[in-house]
Amino acid sequence: MSVAYARQAEWGIPQLYLLPAAKLNPFLEELKEYYTVIGPVARGKEFVFAPVAKPEELALSYQTTLLPPKKVLHLPFEVLFSFHEDQQIVETAPEQRPQVIFGIHPCDVRAILILDKAYTAEYPDPYYIAKRRHTLLVALNCAEPGENCFCQSLGTGPDLKEGYDLLLTDLGHGYLIEVGSPWGRELVQTMDLAPAPRVAMVEKQKVLENARRKFHKKLNTQGLPELLEENFRHPIWEELMHDCLACGSCTMVCPTCFCYNVVDKIDLNLKSGKRQREWDSCMLLEYAQVALGHNFRKDRDARVKQRIYHKLVYYEPQFSTLGCVGCGRCIKTCVKKIDITDVISRLRGE
Amino acid sequence: MSKPRVAVYKMSSCAGCQLEILNLEPILLDLLGTVELSYFVMARRENEPGPYDIGLVEGAITCGEEIERLKKARQECHLLVALGSCACYGGLPSIKNWQPQRVVESRVYDNLAAIHSTTAYGIDYYVPVDAYLKGCPVSREELLDFIKSTLLGVRPYLRPHSVCVECKLHENVCLFVTDGAICLGPVTTAGCGALCPSRGKPCDGCRGPANDANTVSLAQTMVSYGLHHSDIARYFRKFAGMTPEFSKGAEAV
Repeated sequence: MSVAYARQAEWGIPQLYLLPAAKLNPFLEELKEYYTVIGPVARGKEFVFAPVAKPEELALSYQTTLLPPKKVLHLPFEVLFSFHEDQQIVETAPEQRPQVIFGIHPCDVRAILILDKAYTAEYPDPYYIAKRRHTLLVALNCAEPGENCFCQSLGTGPDLKEGYDLLLTDLGHGYLIEVGSPWGRELVQTMDLAPAPRVAMVEKQKVLENARRKFHKKLNTQGLPELLEENFRHPIWEELMHDCLACGSCTMVCPTCFCYNVVDKIDLNLKSGKRQREWDSCMLLEYAQVALGHNFRKDRDARVKQRIYHKLVYYEPQFSTLGCVGCGRCIKTCVKKIDITDVISRLRGE
Repeated sequence: MSKPRVAVYKMSSCAGCQLEILNLEPILLDLLGTVELSYFVMARRENEPGPYDIGLVEGAITCGEEIERLKKARQECHLLVALGSCACYGGLPSIKNWQPQRVVESRVYDNLAAIHSTTAYGIDYYVPVDAYLKGCPVSREELLDFIKSTLLGVRPYLRPHSVCVECKLHENVCLFVTDGAICLGPVTTAGCGALCPSRGKPCDGCRGPANDANTVSLAQTMVSYGLHHSDIARYFRKFAGMTPEFSKGAEAV
């Protein structure tokens, strides 16, 4: 069983606390004493998850970030170990200081729960697990969905029911805190917080109701596997083949994509080096190329299809969930504005 | 065992790629412990004759005399490498290829009597090439990676995909979708570490087409951004206009 699921199973009804807006910064300062706090901070006109040096940097009113917070659990570039000609191998020591991902949205939490399955089930990934064990998730319910968000259609937002250590909801005057794990309870106990009044739950529902009305995009999931299986030869794929730039951006920013490539970096003495991994993508031509040069997905439409079918059809039998959490990053990042929700509604003839 | 011998040749170019070899200064001595830079006119007073194990050719071929030198280089080198965009595709010198030679020549030289230039081509137009190290200038990292891999007898990791991948790995703000800037990153070969976009400047396509570059689609997007077809042609012809992919992009609209 995955780490997150094991934690969740021990816990039932959440406990509620209230964090007044003025206490947020002291709370963060307190957290920083014991944890590396990673949260959304501004970069130009966008936001990224980065270590928060000062509480004021934290931009909790963000809609989405360039890369998903997956990047702190499965690094874009990661040295796995170093090696030497005499067969000596030195593993990279995992970071011992625990970290908190602060202000992570429900869709991204759900994506991490999917990654937990991919990286801890059949072939446990020690590098991922080492980081995941030391990572707390302080989630933040979504109050303002972005123009590309469609998590509501997939049940992965704007609210969150599992997978968090603490869950915040911005009520305007302060944050409602729901406790989701013993670790989370320890966190709130260090702070002198008042239990939330019952009315806070009503306010939370109002915030979420308000958020639900603001979605522009939706993806109808009814009979999705059948729909896609029946439309494998739909003309839309050829259209996408001409449109798609095959740049790979959509998969790079996806919070559930878990593929990586492994490269050896040799030192100039030609006797030692490092083994590294970095994110890879099925949208790239070389991804499905095998020895002697044969390529299983040479055509662009085959790769576009692979991406969409993997997320919406093939994940289900493997992980009992869809592979898309509706974060909208793939839509946002696409220069050609290729939109997975639009593809599905066109396949439905809408 | 004697060290592998390397030769560096210069054709029509700015010499920037050769300079990148010297810019390896912090590790140049380590490099010299691994290979012998036997022929490198820019760096050595006295150069040794061939044959060589690896030949790095910089520059485009733009006159008959260079064709002869190139053919000789091919004969005396076991591996011949195109070093930088000029040697790979014609590079910047190839921007002249869309105008009559006499017009271009007279723009630069007063006395045309001694000028016998030809269409600017990458070196593989004339001789077989074993590897392409792209970029303007060439990436030092990639050059080193290539040398190390060659000496070990393994295939070097030269990124074939788009610059977008490296841009995303470095979590850059996308200049195209966020700032509305025209960027050739989606169709250009990575390997530079997304050097320009990481510094807020759109990709100019100096590394030439990525392995599945859909330049026609990108050209259509450029039209929707309000670019005139002559601007689009200039974007695609700046560094690698002679490649089939970029020439398709230049002529798409």
